[in-house]
Amino acid sequence: MAKLSLHQLSKSYGSAEILKDISLDIKNGEFVVLVGPSGCGKSTLLRLIAGLDPVTSGSISIGDRIVNDLEPAQRKIAMVFQTYALYPHKNVRENMTFGLKYAGLPAEEISRRVDEASRMLQLQDLLTRKPKDLSGGQRQRVAIGRAIVREPDVFLFDEPLSNLDASLRVSTRVELSRLHTLLKSTMIYVTHDQIEAMTLADRIVVMNKGRIEQTGTPLELYYQPANLFVAGFIGSPKMNQFSAILRNATAATGFGLSVPVKGGDEGSAVTIGIRPEHFVVGREGEHPHAARVELVERLGEISHLHMKLNSGELMIAEWRGRDAPSIGDSLSLAAETSNIHLFDAKGVRI
Amino acid sequence: MQLKWRVGLIHSFLIAYSLIAVLPILLVVMNSFKIRKAIFGTPLALPSAETFSLVGYVKVLGNANIGIYFFNSLSVTLISMATVLLFGAMAAWALAEYRFKGSNLLALFLSIGIMVPIRLGSISILHMMVDLNLVNTRLALILVYTAQGLPMAIFILSEFISQIPRDLRDAARCDGVPEIAIFFQVIAPLLRPAIATVAVFTIVPIWNDLWFPLLLAPGNDTQTITLGIQQFIGQYITDWNSVLAALSVAIIPVLVIYLIFSRQLISGLTAGAVK
Amino acid sequence: MLLLFFFLGPAVIVYSIFSVYPLIATMSLSTFTSDSSGALHFVGLENYRLLLMDKDWREPFWNAFLNNIWFFIIHMAVQNPIGIAIAGLLSLPHLKFRGTYRTLIFTPTMLSVVIIGFSWNLILSPLWGISEGFLKFFGLGAFFQPWLGLESSALITIGLISVWQFVGIPLMLIYAALLNVPSELVDAARIDGLSHMRIFFSVKLPLIAPTIGLVSILTFVGNFNAFDLVYSIKGALAGPNFSTDLLGTFFYRTFFGNQLQLGSPTMGATIATAMFLIILIGVCIYLYGIQRRLERHSF
Repeated sequence: MAKLSLHQLSKSYGSAEILKDISLDIKNGEFVVLVGPSGCGKSTLLRLIAGLDPVTSGSISIGDRIVNDLEPAQRKIAMVFQTYALYPHKNVRENMTFGLKYAGLPAEEISRRVDEASRMLQLQDLLTRKPKDLSGGQRQRVAIGRAIVREPDVFLFDEPLSNLDASLRVSTRVELSRLHTLLKSTMIYVTHDQIEAMTLADRIVVMNKGRIEQTGTPLELYYQPANLFVAGFIGSPKMNQFSAILRNATAATGFGLSVPVKGGDEGSAVTIGIRPEHFVVGREGEHPHAARVELVERLGEISHLHMKLNSGELMIAEWRGRDAPSIGDSLSLAAETSNIHLFDAKGVRI
Repeated sequence: MQLKWRVGLIHSFLIAYSLIAVLPILLVVMNSFKIRKAIFGTPLALPSAETFSLVGYVKVLGNANIGIYFFNSLSVTLISMATVLLFGAMAAWALAEYRFKGSNLLALFLSIGIMVPIRLGSISILHMMVDLNLVNTRLALILVYTAQGLPMAIFILSEFISQIPRDLRDAARCDGVPEIAIFFQVIAPLLRPAIATVAVFTIVPIWNDLWFPLLLAPGNDTQTITLGIQQFIGQYITDWNSVLAALSVAIIPVLVIYLIFSRQLISGLTAGAVK
Repeated sequence: MLLLFFFLGPAVIVYSIFSVYPLIATMSLSTFTSDSSGALHFVGLENYRLLLMDKDWREPFWNAFLNNIWFFIIHMAVQNPIGIAIAGLLSLPHLKFRGTYRTLIFTPTMLSVVIIGFSWNLILSPLWGISEGFLKFFGLGAFFQPWLGLESSALITIGLISVWQFVGIPLMLIYAALLNVPSELVDAARIDGLSHMRIFFSVKLPLIAPTIGLVSILTFVGNFNAFDLVYSIKGALAGPNFSTDLLGTFFYRTFFGNQLQLGSPTMGATIATAMFLIILIGVCIYLYGIQRRLERHSF
């Protein structure tokens, strides 16, 4: 177990800058999730930490040592890959012990670790099977087992659940959470799935275009997104964004919503963000803002209403209960004032 | 109805061509088991109880050298195959995995041999073998065949290695497996399906070659089966039983091995090694 | 660094010493001549002048070269179309016995050229009479000729024997390429109402054009390097009257000598270098003229 810190880390391939000036401190035992759209550099960052790719500038330290020039195996990390990367010609036990043999561990120690890990992951009955005879979920557990037996300081996960089907993904997610509580190790986890990020993380790092947009606990990101990118990325369906003009310390939208603002330039364009779940929806005339239903997505207990405001703007609101409105219905809306987000012209939270 | 007609037409065309392909071979093998009179009298008939004869085989197999020729062909082909596969896979791995200065140039250099036949350098090869005192040794053939087979093998194996997921090598690196062990323990076992493809393109031409045995190892002790049969036939050209038997002795083992492995060979060939 | 040497060393060393070096040494030998004592003297391009201008060299060289071009044309006109046609048939959906046909048609390719040459020599021989009998069966007995023995037909016959043997190579390469054409594309064309024939010519064939290019250049290299078949059927003299002489047999005869002349390593090297240049020109035309224009599709 160890803390990990990245200091002004950059990575370029030729003239393409993949990562720009990344600094991040991860505490001992923390579960950090790197999340962002594809191509944001999150997987590259993980590979730099693992030592699979060389850094262009900046430093990586694990514990108290700078590991920039160390081979992956010397960094005391273990990595779980998206494709599991099990050696197809070796059985489960051999997959788990392959690296340990090269570390020069005594045989008893190796078998103690394999026993412990396979008990933890319920792999005892599978130890002599080849990967091709395992299900997707079992392969995933073997991949995790192979990481555990290394007893690393830091676990690295590269989208480990994205090859699993939906139901298995949920149960394995729960499993991973349990594992983290049990092992208390530092874990860094890359995903593009915000649900995985929200449910697993102690702290989420949102990345975009090679930079860190925001770092915070899941709830911080949800309730206080630092900018429009994070606001749009976290939460599903996306946060509604309305453009507004700032006058007399009030931001006013085209459809008549006005929000008091402290600071900001008079006359500047701002953005008001409201999540679909933070609207109150009622019959026509019940609330201040009129809207017409254009599409209804029924998910069961809740429904998503795609609506058009009388200003012509499109938005989504959440409806709870079975008797959802139908297409063409005229309704009215109000925003919960405590959950309104404001962003300046550059997209930064006010 | 129309569809059935068309399917029938396609099958008759394919059957006709299949017959064209195998009939001449069958003709030789079939007649090698007959008495001389039947070879000329009823060449298209299968050998019957009256016409069956092994007289040709007695002569061919009685030739003590046939065994040596077989051994020579077998040892030269197998050892060449082993070195082509080993050296080829190692080089293909290095070219596919490591980026280094001049790696593209080296890949180009190695691929010259795919297009330019090594035979054109025969004169210098012969001079060199004379200087090295390797004329009439199997080693001379093995060295030349290894050099001949490597470019194609490297090309095929590189394509194959690049299809092995990168995660697998990265996982091994995270596991602390040394580079040499990554190749021998992780990559090499996964190359098994490529062997068939390499075999078709490099091993079959070695077994069937006439040029280099004629040039480098024509001595009686080092002749390969292809050269041996060629010389034998030259000697007994008018003895039809012996000639047909000699040809069959060269054909049958290859045919049997081919039929056993044809599925793997052909699927290896069509697996897209050369796209 | 050490690691690179470990992995690349053996292949690069064996290949350089026994393939690249001899090729270069042969080229340099072609600029020398040897006197009666065997000593070498540098003569520049004199050997090439001899080969192209001197009456004794010019005629056999052009004869072999033109024969070789014929040999190549026969393969391009017969072998590759047959290969493409059979590959097209074999890749039709729902075809039964596909594997059996493939195995049978590929069989001759696996056998030694020498063995094939002798076998055909026997089959076509008037002595055995098997071909004549075969033609008579179809009422065509009058057409029989000892094709391999006639100056007018020997080269074409040998060319067709070679086609018969090696049709498996284009067949397999094109078949593999056809298998890689996504079946969705073919399904879409069928739903659009195209017949199998049209699908083959307007959808599949354009998509596998790069493979056909590759097959053509492999045929070219193989043909201009051919030796074994002529040697096993006709011997080094490539009779009758050199009508089946190819560059490969001409090279062999020049280097080793024969009943008519003494062997000359330097002239042999000159011919080998000329063959190298011919192949190089062909490969360059392919790489820069043809391959670039063929669009590669990835699926």
